[in-house]
Amino acid sequence: MSFKERLGTELLFFDGAMGTLLQERGLKSGELPEIWNAVREEVIFDIHKQYLDAGCDIIKANTFGANPFKIKGTGYTCEELVKKGIEIVKHAIAQSGRKAYAALDIGSLGKLLEPLGDLSFEEAYQAFVPMCTAGEQAGADLCLIETMNDTYEIKAAVLAAKEHTSLPVVVTMVFDESGKLLTGADMEAAVAMLEGLRVDALGLNCGFGPDVMQGFLPRLREITSLPIVVNPNAGLPVVVDGRTCFQVGPEEFAGVMKKIAGDGISVMGGCCGTTPAHLRALIESCRELTPMPLTDKNRSVVSSYTHAVELNGRPKIIGERINPTGKSRFKQALRDHDLEYIYKEALAQQDRGAHILDVNVGLPEIDEVEMMRSVVTGLQGITDLPLQIDTSDPEAMETAMRLYNGKPLLNSVNGKQESMDAVFPLAAKYGAMVVCLTLDEDGIPGTAHGRIKIAEKIIAEAAKYGIGKKDLLIDTLTMTISTGQENAKITLDALHYVRHVLGVHTTLGVSNISFGLPQREQVNTAFFTIALSQGLSAGIINPNSQAMMAAYHSYCALNGSDSQCQDYIGLYSEQDAQPKTSHEQSGFVSLFDAVVRGLAESASQAAKKELETKKPLEIIDEDLIPALDQVGQGFENKTVFLPQLLMSADAAKAGFDAIKEHLQAEGAASESKGTIVIATVKGDIHDIGKNIVKVLLENYGFQVIDLGKDVAPELVVEAAKEHKVKLVGLSALMTTTVANMELTIQMLKKELPDCKVMVGGAVLTQTYADMIGADFYSKDAMGSIRYANELFSS
Amino acid sequence: MKADRKETMRYLGYRGQEADPQTVRLIEEAAKELEGGSSPKSIYREYDCKVLGELVKIGGLEIQSRNLAVNLKGCERAVLLAATIGRTADFLIRKYSITNMAKAAVVQAAGAACIESYVDEVEEEIRKNARNRGLYLRPRFSPGYGDFALEHQRDLFQMLECSKRIGLTLTEGNLMMPSKSVTAVIGLTVLERESCQMETCSLCAKTDCEFRQEGVDL
Repeated sequence: MSFKERLGTELLFFDGAMGTLLQERGLKSGELPEIWNAVREEVIFDIHKQYLDAGCDIIKANTFGANPFKIKGTGYTCEELVKKGIEIVKHAIAQSGRKAYAALDIGSLGKLLEPLGDLSFEEAYQAFVPMCTAGEQAGADLCLIETMNDTYEIKAAVLAAKEHTSLPVVVTMVFDESGKLLTGADMEAAVAMLEGLRVDALGLNCGFGPDVMQGFLPRLREITSLPIVVNPNAGLPVVVDGRTCFQVGPEEFAGVMKKIAGDGISVMGGCCGTTPAHLRALIESCRELTPMPLTDKNRSVVSSYTHAVELNGRPKIIGERINPTGKSRFKQALRDHDLEYIYKEALAQQDRGAHILDVNVGLPEIDEVEMMRSVVTGLQGITDLPLQIDTSDPEAMETAMRLYNGKPLLNSVNGKQESMDAVFPLAAKYGAMVVCLTLDEDGIPGTAHGRIKIAEKIIAEAAKYGIGKKDLLIDTLTMTISTGQENAKITLDALHYVRHVLGVHTTLGVSNISFGLPQREQVNTAFFTIALSQGLSAGIINPNSQAMMAAYHSYCALNGSDSQCQDYIGLYSEQDAQPKTSHEQSGFVSLFDAVVRGLAESASQAAKKELETKKPLEIIDEDLIPALDQVGQGFENKTVFLPQLLMSADAAKAGFDAIKEHLQAEGAASESKGTIVIATVKGDIHDIGKNIVKVLLENYGFQVIDLGKDVAPELVVEAAKEHKVKLVGLSALMTTTVANMELTIQMLKKELPDCKVMVGGAVLTQTYADMIGADFYSKDAMGSIRYANELFSS
Repeated sequence: MKADRKETMRYLGYRGQEADPQTVRLIEEAAKELEGGSSPKSIYREYDCKVLGELVKIGGLEIQSRNLAVNLKGCERAVLLAATIGRTADFLIRKYSITNMAKAAVVQAAGAACIESYVDEVEEEIRKNARNRGLYLRPRFSPGYGDFALEHQRDLFQMLECSKRIGLTLTEGNLMMPSKSVTAVIGLTVLERESCQMETCSLCAKTDCEFRQEGVDL
């Protein structure tokens, strides 16, 4: 019988530690264990043999760190070390005469993925591919992805294994004492993603001994429908006289493991510090046990890289604002690739209480696939809310799903065969909950019955792909009541049936109900409340609408899902006590003062008021610039400090924005003082300093082309040429990246001899700056402003 | 781990001046978000240590560095240490860089204060453990200080299994990620008078550093 056939039906046993035993036999700290596949084959063979003799069913090949990053410079290739590793296991199994399985063991790459680190998702994926292919070719029976602490890296590894082999995939992770991965992901988030990716088993390894792991298992069993694997350490590592030791002995280890075994575990084994003696004791005490039968936990969840959102219980809010439909400013942002605008929309909705964010970035004139790639990657760096990928372009949809760190919501499939043929395979491959629109080739049925029929058709088709009802979210389609009085009733009747008779979750784009009517919010809130009471699981709404959020929170308080009305009271009690507390509203502040004191809202109001009597240019020259100068002066004299400088910058920006708006309304263009290209140089990924300079330069009226961080010299030169700039600003934090700064300056000077270069960053000094040929060294953010002002006024 | 308010202000450039109420509020908020949301982690291991002229041997690792050799002179054992406050600080900085740059700058400073305080805690644990064996700690010394080449980060990371144990990684350019992290070598000596608890600022090449402490180096 194959591993997959036995998995979940009988208790199976992994082996124990490899590294610990290799150290005892002379592996030096820092030496790569996988090299021993080539140079000390007999040692590896002997260790496998001992585990087989102890009764283990699955032997982990010595391939954990044989990835291209870790073996770089060793003289070996990933493929040969993996191949050799699997061969040694196969050889040991053959010689033992036992029925056992060889596991291709895949550990972490040891690098952090974007957005935090410098490794892209695709690069991570590519690094795992040669391990997977070599492992299967050499005869591995399964792929074990273990000791993982980042769901994103896990996803890259799982996709590599699934797309390049037909091996069963088992994933085990390291949770810390709070039950989270190092990325902050909780167990629910990890399980949601892994079940979505359809791995064969999941569980825990390393980090702790069996006693601590035992504490995590009840929750894990509650949330996963898959077989569970447990490979703990022999206790916590303890340093005794400078040596790392594991202190839980074989009998104690087996004792705790036996308790765990009766608790719904399918596969057990050991990690750091466990030995053949540990495994022998474990197997002797548990061999006769059978695992609890697997049950479907039937959870409807989506997840982000930190947490899962479950659709049972309290209804959820899906924020609808990241969508260009009917929003000219948003369309402009897409055309200008102004991602910051989109990110602000996301964070505002999160602040207002959205649980999930819809992401629609389609415009006919832009490359939607590339835009989706940028926006999904960017959003994952700034918000931990799950995303709803909203596109009708299958390529954009797949791109987003692949890059998404979690289990997303897909918006949407509909009852047309073509749509289901395109969307369901993607949902089945990457894992997702899917919004299903109740329309088909014949359009939108005008009756509740018609929409229910389509819902049933979609449910049946999804089942063919192994997508259960729990992963569907049916949208019975909101049509405006301004064109048909029956419309609300049809939608709600269908919704009620889908939720309560078919037992499937529901969603609606709520605000469509009032299209064409005055005072739409009134109708929207009423309809939203009724829909919630009819069984709406998740409303797609604008969370920035206070009335809609008030309707939502009131509903939750009324239907009992807000325990003791705690959330309602927490949100609204302050509004009673202090109607207007903001000091910004306590009196009029002049524009000059607002900027100096860093009050953004007041600055905007004051600027608008001044525009009634003064010309825009006068306001800039007489109020905004003098105020900024005063703050800048204070900063240089050390009476004003960085946070205040930035708050003032923020206030000034609010003032400038008001003026810009005014100019645009009059059809005049606002003038830029000049264009400056800025970048953090190649190899450097710290960019807060550069971002501060950007904010300040923009305030002084410069147009800033921000190339971001880790920017290659060629790209800087290209941008400087394209925008014909006479000033480039470069930032570097580390001594090691100053070399790249020098290279960038050399290339700039060669191609654009007239272009000036200013530099700044933690390690730079005037001496350094002179040495690498910079025109100006700015010791702080204000220095760059002074230099730019001088340069552009001359 | 604590985001010491005074340290945070020092990183923001204050030298004894009072902060305005808005900044005080930002510092409070940042400190709370970091203290509540971070999960600091560390790992350290002890090795035999030998100093031969300007060559330092720690376990199997060989480092050519005059400054480190001076720092470890006479030590027969040395601890390699890595510590990080985790990813929360980086996440918050990125988020606030979009919505509130002033707060991003404050989180940056408060994060620096957090990792300093955390490394001090870990060092204290090492100190206690060493005392029990009659050993004293030399000041910690990190790759990148003086002529201790930053490239040795690679070696430290391998020996300590940083990525697997505490989720700390290196970029291609040898930058640590999460960014609020520290690696260091700490020499253990039997001679109390040769240990010290001062920072070794004077060994650093960056003479105009904001944080340089003059006059306290040994």
